[in-house]
Amino acid sequence: MLALTLIFHACITEEISENTPKGNFQALWEIIDTKYCFLDYKQDEYGLDWKQVYQTYSNRLTDDMGNKALFQVLSEMLKELRDGHVNLVAYHETSQYREWYDNYPTNFVDTIQRIYLGKDYVTAAGIKYSILEDNIGYIYYGSFSSGIGESNLDEILNELSICDGLIIDVRNNGGGLLSLSDRLASRFTNEKVLTGYMSYKTGPGHNDFSQPEPIYVEPATNRVRWQKAVAVLTNRRSYSSTNDFVGKMKQMPKSIIVGDKTGGGSGLPFSSELPNGWSVRFSASPMYDPDMNHLEFGINPDIKIDMTLEDMQKGKDTIIEAAREILKAKKE
Amino acid sequence: MKRCILLLFFTCWCILSIQAQQDSILVNRYVMRSTLYGIGYTNILDTYLSPAEYTGAEIRILRENMRMTRLLNGKVSRQSLFQAQMAMTENRAGTGSEFAFLANWNFAWHYQHRFNEHIKLLVGPNIDLNGGMIYNFRNSNNPVQAKAYVNLGASGMTIYRFNIKEYPFVLRYQLNLPLLGIMFSPEYGQPYYEMSISHDWGKNLCFTSLHNQPAIRQFITLDFPIKSLNVRVGYVCDIQQSKVNHLRNHTWSHTFMAGIVKNFYVLKGKNKVAMPASVSPY
Repeated sequence: MLALTLIFHACITEEISENTPKGNFQALWEIIDTKYCFLDYKQDEYGLDWKQVYQTYSNRLTDDMGNKALFQVLSEMLKELRDGHVNLVAYHETSQYREWYDNYPTNFVDTIQRIYLGKDYVTAAGIKYSILEDNIGYIYYGSFSSGIGESNLDEILNELSICDGLIIDVRNNGGGLLSLSDRLASRFTNEKVLTGYMSYKTGPGHNDFSQPEPIYVEPATNRVRWQKAVAVLTNRRSYSSTNDFVGKMKQMPKSIIVGDKTGGGSGLPFSSELPNGWSVRFSASPMYDPDMNHLEFGINPDIKIDMTLEDMQKGKDTIIEAAREILKAKKE
Repeated sequence: MKRCILLLFFTCWCILSIQAQQDSILVNRYVMRSTLYGIGYTNILDTYLSPAEYTGAEIRILRENMRMTRLLNGKVSRQSLFQAQMAMTENRAGTGSEFAFLANWNFAWHYQHRFNEHIKLLVGPNIDLNGGMIYNFRNSNNPVQAKAYVNLGASGMTIYRFNIKEYPFVLRYQLNLPLLGIMFSPEYGQPYYEMSISHDWGKNLCFTSLHNQPAIRQFITLDFPIKSLNVRVGYVCDIQQSKVNHLRNHTWSHTFMAGIVKNFYVLKGKNKVAMPASVSPY
């Protein structure tokens, strides 16, 4: 009975705010305050002051506001984070921060891309590929959520091995699984390469972070590995795992990044929830490049090129054309 | 001739009698084995997955094996208790759900103190092994929390035998309390992806004791015969909770169980090709 008494006095619970507009606001603000990983970094970058954000948005709350009005206030508060990985999911709507690509050129037109793929392109798992007229291999990978197996990659790279160079187009690829980014990148090195670091929060304080863990890409063993030049095409909608892939490819010896700056999204997202059951997704673990620079706001290409209106009117993709020229020059 | 046959029967009877007397003192060969099935209610919190509590129905199986040993002049019994539980739970708003599974193996040695023929008290140490997971169906990169912990603890039991109008009952109350242990836990915001690339798992193994793992398992069971069956009904109150790496979690389960008890006498060497000729019918 003594033990029983002790246990009941030692119940482990979590204090949760009430399911009211103020309670849900408080819960969301605290989740970000204790678990979001870029608060200090973004304060340095553009002056984000999360305590000031509390003051600003709490003034817009009323006790009798409806769910849609509350959602509006909460999603606007989250947009202060300028993070495409932050979403509030309610029954009626999902909030999204889209300025990381809305304010930039699209740099990708699928109708033009189809001209390059041709009619006889091959689809293997999540990858479409073909050989361009000048004997350059072209791979389009539209989502790191679409699985690719090691055998798929063996077949694709074998098929394209006659080519003089390879284009991997990850424009408009909004991300997916980090493991697939590793798998694809491992085909472009013969040595173990340090591609960056990762850390995570060890406590609720803004600066409670673990020691950064080095991330290496190891060559795929007993698999087909690409030995010639490779160009990776990017635009602002190359985001999240794609940003990770581009960061890895940037460290590969025969790789060049062509196109626009990537969209970023270097924080591995976690999820949590509010007392009213709405779900919130947020960046939880930051990733860095090998020099410990944040990648949250994107990776600059080696060759910065935008698609031109003139080329588009001719049905040409300026970025693909530039990559072809670069690969041909490298061959010579 | 008749005398010879009678002498032979008498000799056999004497040998078997001695054998029976020897067997009767081998109390460590009597085994009580029970299997119970239960349904109940569970309340789950794991702040790695969500700050909200999830509640719902639970099913559980409990398999118990108990026998006397030769330790301390035959006053120590050993108990092996295996449980597996599964639960499907929802948050209060009904917008999210979690699936939980936990397997627990408890091995205890009890010193038995018999007050009288009706009541006895059992106390002793136990080893408590646990493994399982909780899966949150809507989370992104933190959808699952693995559970793995081992404890050294104390176990106590009271067994009370009584009759109601010559109908026999056995009532048992048992309490298992973990005292010292090691628990696996991710750090506060550590993704499992990071664990897969990290070679330093030291921070994921946490020392636990009453201050950060105030847990308790309690069992109340009642045995009674129905025709040739020995029926057992019971209630399990399973309070598992911990607070490590700034993460809080609890699983509070209340489960009603029912099943059958079987008593065995273990024959040594029964799996050999031939049993001793003195006892084998073949």
